[in-house]
Amino acid sequence: MSDKAVPSSAKASAAHHNASRVTRHALPYFPGCALKDQARGFEDSARAAMAALGYELAELPRWNCCGTVYSLATDDLMRHLGPVRNLVRVQDLGETRLVTLCAMCYNTLARSSRFVGADPERLERINAFMDDEADYRGGVEVVHLLELLRDEVTFEAIEAKVERPLDGLKVAPYYGCMLLRPREVGIDDPDSPGVLEALLSALGAEPVDFPQKAECCGAYQTVSSPEIARARVGEIVSAARWAGAELIATSCPLCTYNLEHHQVEREERETRHASPVTRHEIPILYFTQLLALALGVSEDKLGFAGLKFDPRPLLSDRELV
Amino acid sequence: MAERIDGDALRVTRDAGMGSENYPSRVSRHPLRITAREPDFVAKVEELCGENLYACYQCGKCAAGCLFADHMDFLPNQVLRLVQLADEAVLSSRAPWVCASCLACEVRCPKGVDIAKVMEALRLLSLRKGETGLRWGEIPPGVPQIALVGATRKLTP
Repeated sequence: MSDKAVPSSAKASAAHHNASRVTRHALPYFPGCALKDQARGFEDSARAAMAALGYELAELPRWNCCGTVYSLATDDLMRHLGPVRNLVRVQDLGETRLVTLCAMCYNTLARSSRFVGADPERLERINAFMDDEADYRGGVEVVHLLELLRDEVTFEAIEAKVERPLDGLKVAPYYGCMLLRPREVGIDDPDSPGVLEALLSALGAEPVDFPQKAECCGAYQTVSSPEIARARVGEIVSAARWAGAELIATSCPLCTYNLEHHQVEREERETRHASPVTRHEIPILYFTQLLALALGVSEDKLGFAGLKFDPRPLLSDRELV
Repeated sequence: MAERIDGDALRVTRDAGMGSENYPSRVSRHPLRITAREPDFVAKVEELCGENLYACYQCGKCAAGCLFADHMDFLPNQVLRLVQLADEAVLSSRAPWVCASCLACEVRCPKGVDIAKVMEALRLLSLRKGETGLRWGEIPPGVPQIALVGATRKLTP
């Protein structure tokens, strides 16, 4: 696929907002800070998997921090500037859609887009704050990659392209919060989602259900009150383990950090005297890594090196790597 | 943050009992007694969070599903009740600082009250007076920037 994101004829029809046709498989994409740092494997595997499906994730030019957490106050308009600046960049491309991978970026961008787009007066005020950018006109749709895979690529098409079925691999899909809540931007049922399960099934894996799949990992409390995050992660990981999971699939770099980091701490505290055999950490993978693996992407593009718990011994045991 | 809720600072008094001395920062399951009222307080919080605070009828569904309630001194519905009763003492509660805006309560509230917004309003009232919910010297090493940005935006002025 060419480096030019969008053919000019397609750009001209962008206003008609038939996004799936307009982008012709090249999609403006927002990485965010974590995907350029501790979650590189998330981006690398997503790009490789999408390439295998015939799509290009074209990185948004001059993107900036999404703000990570959405401001919930009525008078905090300034905090929407970061997300809105990114939406202006999408608008500058003549595009109407922005794809995200990180669940926190997705939430912040999608909510800000709705918040400023819903009220012309608000939009005017926020535009007055921005000097260097064109005015944001509203209407940029923020899409999470999982939505795109489900609604546009379709899981049937993905299943047809699977080269290495993840047969018998027991994966606990962990959604966390920001993909699901609030309802206005949630990509699935806020308490009982199923989109990750459907994707995992299409890949040949065996999704493992566990009650904590949509519960919070402790989020940024890992900075201020790590003991709270540790307690959360303990519940989540042990529930997944009890349900028989061999891997946990996530869509959020902060969830991944917490699940990895506090799992180690917990293991060290609780099994300090146990034999090494009984100590088994559950690898935490991004769902895109499993997708890319099943689609036959070569191992060097799966980004396993950045993971705290190497899934390769398990995967090679199943003859998947 | 335990000092926030210690002893006499609170005008909302909690009966001793149920191990509260051993676990001063744990949830109190005791009746609330209101001892002071600030008439403008409700309006101030309502303006900041944009929610109708009197819509809450204390069903407790938010508290039942709150994943962080174990670490709060007042349960989410109790926090809301204190605000309804216009007691500024709620600003000394640990609960708004423990809330991680995971929105489990928000999607379940039968009255459509976004409690996370109420918690944020209470945090902001403290933050705007110069208080902070983050001790810089105690930040664990190695936390990623996604966590740091989130924590500083939610817990510092």
